[in-house]
Amino acid sequence: MKTPLMTEPIEWRLKLAFGVIALILVGTSVTALRNISRSLTGSDWVNHTHAVILEGDAIRASLNAGESALRDHLLTSDPRSLADARVAYAEAAEHLELAKALTRNDPSGSQLLARVEPLAARRVDFAREGVRLRQLGDETAIRRLLTAQGGDTTMAEIKRELEELKRYEQALLQERDRQSYLQAQTTRWTVMAGVAINLGLLLFVAWLIRDDLRARRLAATALQKANDTLEAKVQERTRELTAANQALELENLERQWQYQAIEHQLRYNQLIINSMDDLVLVTTKILKITRLTPAVTHRLGFTAEEMVGQPLQRYLREGTGGTSIAAGLDRLIGALKEGRELQDCPGELLAKDTRPIPVRFRLIPLRDHDQVVGGVVSIHLSTSLPADNASPASPTP
Amino acid sequence: MNKRILIIDDEPQIRELLMRAFQSRGYAVTGVATGREACQSASEHPPDLIISDLQLNESDGLEVIDDLKRLLPEVPVMLVTGVLFDSEVVQALVGGKIAAYVEKTSPLKKVVEEARRLLGESIPQP
Repeated sequence: MKTPLMTEPIEWRLKLAFGVIALILVGTSVTALRNISRSLTGSDWVNHTHAVILEGDAIRASLNAGESALRDHLLTSDPRSLADARVAYAEAAEHLELAKALTRNDPSGSQLLARVEPLAARRVDFAREGVRLRQLGDETAIRRLLTAQGGDTTMAEIKRELEELKRYEQALLQERDRQSYLQAQTTRWTVMAGVAINLGLLLFVAWLIRDDLRARRLAATALQKANDTLEAKVQERTRELTAANQALELENLERQWQYQAIEHQLRYNQLIINSMDDLVLVTTKILKITRLTPAVTHRLGFTAEEMVGQPLQRYLREGTGGTSIAAGLDRLIGALKEGRELQDCPGELLAKDTRPIPVRFRLIPLRDHDQVVGGVVSIHLSTSLPADNASPASPTP
Repeated sequence: MNKRILIIDDEPQIRELLMRAFQSRGYAVTGVATGREACQSASEHPPDLIISDLQLNESDGLEVIDDLKRLLPEVPVMLVTGVLFDSEVVQALVGGKIAAYVEKTSPLKKVVEEARRLLGESIPQP
């Protein structure tokens, strides 16, 4: 027994294909969306890294500006220089705090900034010391401080640390840039592959559908052809049956016509016989009565039912008054057996009232295909008793 | 248009058989039992052929044919009769009153063929 799967392969194949297409579509979409999300995160991080680098540069720039302004103040006692120096150092501190905040979640960056902070503090201390000496007006101490600053490598160290921080952040930028590129490539290939596979699957589905449609069209054509053939056969058979039916109808009409014709003839024959005055009896070979004309029953007073099947001698005897019935009977039977006619024989009819009626009768053998099957006795009423003469053809007893 | 046949016979079975035999072959058939009905039908729907029995209940077949011939002199008349070798029939044939006669003991096929011949139609060969 075929299962639904087996009976409709096209259906499950289509379902499978569309299922795979949907899966690929979903997978591609999820991958693309995830990569896009990662790209956005990476973009945020890039901005963050650039901010760290900018802050580092700003720290150095501010410190340099502060150093320059401080030197100028220490040398010229210009209050404006002092103000500039204060602003510059304040900005440096602010940038340092920002940089620390930006690198809070980055241990390596935090570590580098941690090395910068004490160095920057040292410069601030030097600046405070210089400002104090300037306020005291101690030129000698100021010169000594400036000379000592010449051998101080703090700024160089700050510069070095900030450079290292910048390199570190730039390395991270490059790594992130590389990863971002890889992600973009991955996304591009994933989407392209998904689209290509789906296009392939759609083409396969289209081929399946086209193939199935073609098979169905062929099947429909074959079915139509079979139907046409069957229709033609049915029409042919119907024509044959109709013709056979018509032939049967005509045959039936012919039979009924023949039956009517025979019945018509029989009826007219009977009418003719019934209208005859002649007394005619039909007998068997041993002279049992089988048929008689109505004139016989009318003359004798018996009914046909009473006479049919009875021996002839009960109603007709040969000869007149006293002739042996048995001898006459044998003569008649003998004549029938030999197929001879007996003409103009004298006899008596025995009517119901037992009064004999003198008659003359004739016995004719009844033949069917040359076989004597009985006899026909034709009786004529006579007015006088005849002489006892037999026909020339019949032998004397 | 189908040819029309008028059948005159006082025996219903014979009349019905003849009507069915000709209707099954595509003819328009009217069946009547008496001469009076025959004249009335012939007046209303003139037939192309008249088939009549010789012995009718209310009238003589030849008298009915005389009446119909006065009404429709061009329409052929065929006698279907159970009476054989009737001298009147022979005279009517000679006189041109009837175009043909067929015995009732003849096959029905012969009756139909004779009718077709009188209607001027070809008889299909077996």
